Amino acid sequence: VTDAVAQSGATHCPYCALQCAMTLTPTATGAEVAGRDFPTNRGGLCKKGWTSAELLRRNDRVTAPLRRGPEGFAEVSWTEALDEIAERLRATRAARGADAVAVFGGGGLTNEKAYQLGKFARIALGTSRIDYNGRFCMSSAAAAGNRAFGIDRGLPFPVEDLDEARTILLLGSNVAATMPPFIGHLVTARADGGLIVVDPRRSATARLTEDGAGIHVQPAPGTDLIVILGLIHVVLAEGLADLDYITARTTGFDAVRRSANAWWPERVQETTGVPASQLRAVARRLAAGRGTFVLTGRGVEQHVDGTDTATAAINLALLLGLPGTPNSGYGTLTGQGNGQGGREHGQKCDQLPGYRKITDPDARAYVAGVWGVDADEIPGPGVPAVELLSMLGREVEALLVHGANVVVSAPDAAAVRRGLDALSLLVVCDFFLSETAELADFVLPVTQWAEEEGTMTSLEGRVLRRRRTVPAPGEARSELWIVRELARRLGAPGSWPVDAAEVFDELARASAGGLADYSGLSHALLDTGVAAHWPYPSGSTGTPRLFTERFAHPDGRALMVAVTPHPRDPGSQRGGQLTLVTGRLLEHYQSGVQTRRVGELVEARPEVTVQLHPATATSLRISMDDMVELRNERGTVRARAEVTTAIRHDTVFVPFHFAGDGCANLLTEAIVDPISAMPEFKRTLVTVARVDDTAPGPAVPVLA
Amino acid sequence: MMRVVVVGFGPVGARFVEGMLPAVARGDASLTVLGAEEHDAYNRVLIAEYAVGRADRDRLDLVDTAALRAADVDVRRGEAAVAIDRSRRVVRTSSGERIRYDRLVLATGSRANVPTISGMESARRERLVRAQSPESLDRGAAPLPRGVAVLRDLADAERMAATVRAGGRIVVLGAGVLGLEVAFAAREQGAEVVVVHHGDVPMARNLDLAGGRMLSRAARAVGVEVAPHSRAESLLMRTDPLDGQPRFDALVCADGKQIPGDLLLLSVGVAPRIELAAAADLAVSTGILVDADLRSWTDPSVYAIGDCAHVADRGSVGADGRVPGAPSGLIGPGWRQADALAERFSGSGTDAVTPAERPSVVMLKAEGVDVVSGGDVSADPWDDDPHTDGCDHVRQVTQWADPARGTYVKMVTRSGVLEGFVAIGMPRTGAELTLLFERGSELPADRAALLRLDGDDAGAPSTADAFAPDATVCWCNGVTVARISAAAAAGAETVECIGEETRAGTGCGGCKGRVAELLARTAAG
Repeated sequence: VTDAVAQSGATHCPYCALQCAMTLTPTATGAEVAGRDFPTNRGGLCKKGWTSAELLRRNDRVTAPLRRGPEGFAEVSWTEALDEIAERLRATRAARGADAVAVFGGGGLTNEKAYQLGKFARIALGTSRIDYNGRFCMSSAAAAGNRAFGIDRGLPFPVEDLDEARTILLLGSNVAATMPPFIGHLVTARADGGLIVVDPRRSATARLTEDGAGIHVQPAPGTDLIVILGLIHVVLAEGLADLDYITARTTGFDAVRRSANAWWPERVQETTGVPASQLRAVARRLAAGRGTFVLTGRGVEQHVDGTDTATAAINLALLLGLPGTPNSGYGTLTGQGNGQGGREHGQKCDQLPGYRKITDPDARAYVAGVWGVDADEIPGPGVPAVELLSMLGREVEALLVHGANVVVSAPDAAAVRRGLDALSLLVVCDFFLSETAELADFVLPVTQWAEEEGTMTSLEGRVLRRRRTVPAPGEARSELWIVRELARRLGAPGSWPVDAAEVFDELARASAGGLADYSGLSHALLDTGVAAHWPYPSGSTGTPRLFTERFAHPDGRALMVAVTPHPRDPGSQRGGQLTLVTGRLLEHYQSGVQTRRVGELVEARPEVTVQLHPATATSLRISMDDMVELRNERGTVRARAEVTTAIRHDTVFVPFHFAGDGCANLLTEAIVDPISAMPEFKRTLVTVARVDDTAPGPAVPVLA
Repeated sequence: MMRVVVVGFGPVGARFVEGMLPAVARGDASLTVLGAEEHDAYNRVLIAEYAVGRADRDRLDLVDTAALRAADVDVRRGEAAVAIDRSRRVVRTSSGERIRYDRLVLATGSRANVPTISGMESARRERLVRAQSPESLDRGAAPLPRGVAVLRDLADAERMAATVRAGGRIVVLGAGVLGLEVAFAAREQGAEVVVVHHGDVPMARNLDLAGGRMLSRAARAVGVEVAPHSRAESLLMRTDPLDGQPRFDALVCADGKQIPGDLLLLSVGVAPRIELAAAADLAVSTGILVDADLRSWTDPSVYAIGDCAHVADRGSVGADGRVPGAPSGLIGPGWRQADALAERFSGSGTDAVTPAERPSVVMLKAEGVDVVSGGDVSADPWDDDPHTDGCDHVRQVTQWADPARGTYVKMVTRSGVLEGFVAIGMPRTGAELTLLFERGSELPADRAALLRLDGDDAGAPSTADAFAPDATVCWCNGVTVARISAAAAAGAETVECIGEETRAGTGCGGCKGRVAELLARTAAG
């Protein structure tokens, strides 16, 4: 780690996929953050971004490799750690086969790391078992996008296109808390009364519809698909569909039309709690022209029917003629910092770089050529995240975790913890001692955002440079170096550069001809500040807007897929039974490993809270700030009550940023979408009671 | 391979067929479906909208016969079942063909009732006469007089559409949910409409008296005339100048009142088509008697779903020979039955459990008139509860009425769970009560919380005063009024200074105006 450290760095925020531009200036104790003008954030930053430099000043970094011994963790040298890890990986592989070793990646890793990790799993470990936490994030929207458009780029247009739109439908997205500077792009729509937010909570984003700025639709949790089918029904019934567009640019219309005929507004009302009249008003507004966008978020995607729900949202957009039409479109709002790039270069179990399919013989042959191996040496498809985690201690004996905190972020967290405990080897790369790292046999210290070079691909598919501004503390190294060292010890074929620019060049070659083609890009070109939206094949100038001429299917058309809801009977909710939805707070990010270490954020949101409606609170004798227990067959969570009318009476909300007995995922279930393998994060039955309410009698005082 | 024959290709029969497709594809079952009509199955629920010209024919489509045939389903349209030979397990069709079955599913639906009115006796159909051809399925000895119609199938709808297009006057006899839907829809499309019914209030089967009054008022408010306490007795006919034939001129009521119109639409309920089952000696009551598994009381190879199916416990015949209950006549339960039966037929030996029959929710489909109800709503707030067995299980009735604004709600609960409800003019409240009723979930103890969903303050900021100390000004950075005021008091005088001090306005920048306003107030104060 002897590279010269830049004196001042134009870089991007370490957190979400909006990737706000910032300037980092090194100081005696770390660095100072300033907003930087850029189309997405226009110089603004949110509370997390402004305080991000505090992560560089923390004195609880992991600064040397740690090995678990009888007395707990002890620092060891890199050589000792890597030698032993390599030896144990080799032994596991010899005893149980290559697939007994698995890799779990993250959507926060740079493109270079994500690429190298996928390659490392396939040709150094020889395992098919790699997947990543993006499975919990973008998988449903990605599956729906691929099916409908033949390609998956979150926003197929630059964010600024939203600026002129008069109508924006946000389906299950709380941007005001998750990527606040984004709301600057909603100004025109709000001024025109056209912001429509679908969310069971009156979230900060839903509140942006107040005072005539739009409409808040508040369905019961898990009924989004039916709401969208109802909108489609009204669009068709009232002749609001763009039939010329449908004829010219899509296939599958007839089946979609028939399937939506069964969802007239009154029937939708019966299942969702959304009034028929409101549904009609929303559909009419969407079709009012003058620029309409349909955007989905995790609220509608993180369900067992998430792919179908995103598909229905795409169908709605296609019926209205939005995708590929100027000043209009459909998109999904990517969550994690590199949630887009992280899903393109081989961390996904069924994927090779450039968004290629690992089952496609041509793709295998091409990538094998870049890697310098035989196509036969690349394993076949592995298993998605939830299934992978269910194998721990059984089919999988050793696990390497990079940029993920599964014991907090995965569903049924207690089962995940039991799985991790049952491993013979757990290696976690992180810069702080995350809750998952605490369980590891080895913790390897890595660099964080301001200490490394690389690229990130933002929610609009724009490739951005992350720049090194400050030195890494102690012995912390980039994963690129760690992967190289392990590959060498394992006698892996291929080359393993540690310079991010060099890795990027290889990634660009490997992606050439794929859907996510980066072959025309390099760090040097990106350093010129070019707006690089992929596909960016060699010789091109990139693609800010997809679909203007054609979709990515061979026939150039978008495919509408008819979807049928299979509503799970939620059963009766009595005696304190409520539906739990999980989600985010403005002040925290993901599993909270970073933001729970930033003083100002912790001060604002020190502990886990549970939102519940005043009427529900009264019934359960819960008051503001009481400690509340949420319980089901998987676990128990304790949280402080936040009594608010911003939530439905039958629903509670718990953010998933906290660990210990405040970990919301102790309650969620490890059931998944059959297509995307997305877990169900937003519809979990729990029983809620005040902590000291040990013997709940009749909770309601009855006058009779 | 199991041979399944479905009699009836309406929405419920079609839904069952779709549910069976995977089993057909696997080669586990063969499927033949008989439909008397020449058309693909269509959505009868929306027939009123089609009849008034508000919905295209396209919108009624539910299945694609070509696709079903491509999936190896033998779809026969325009072919009626005329007899069932249960001993040989054969269905005889109107074309003379005999089709063997292992399992027979009756989805014959129901037909519109024709009331006993002088002048149209011969149009009434004998309940147990079997049809020998598709055309005679619903026909009496004579057709309905000209200018008199029911609204059940596409042909009915097309006849009615002509009257609506001509801006004619429609007399709707009957004030059930279908009659009212037609009335409202026709009125919206510009027709003159009068609803004639013999009771106190419309939708008397679904609403209590107060709710019915509210609905009458709502109907009149949108220009639908309502004539209560009117018992239809006979028809007055006139000679059509165009062809010299007699046609409907006015409805004459028992009190001598004459209600003129261009079309008399009969909307006095439906009767399940049970004659085919009855002739095959299958147990029938109001409908074809089946147990909770939808299997005939009489023959384990025969099933019934939808409007023709009368679900009751086997042998639950009262002393008077009647069987409690009746088909609901609603599409939702019919579709649930179709799904459950298809799943059971396709199941790997294990019998899927049929969802318990729940009392149905009835919602009036009319724009601008929100009426929804479910269950038993006859109880009054001050009624004594005869079933008191401990304070927990007392029936509670909560009621809200605001005739001036056209809003009315009644919630009848036991142990906090709805037994019945009505909501009029309150769409959000009605939608939530529907959910609570359907799911059998417990209501908030403060029932008024549900009423407030439709209040003017619903969705209002939780801090009413935008300048209250804890009101958030900058969402991006979570900065409150109090924090900005403190910074201003400490000398931050400009929006930029406030931004540096508190970060308000340094995210999306959308709150800079409010920061400036706040500073101005502080300065003025």
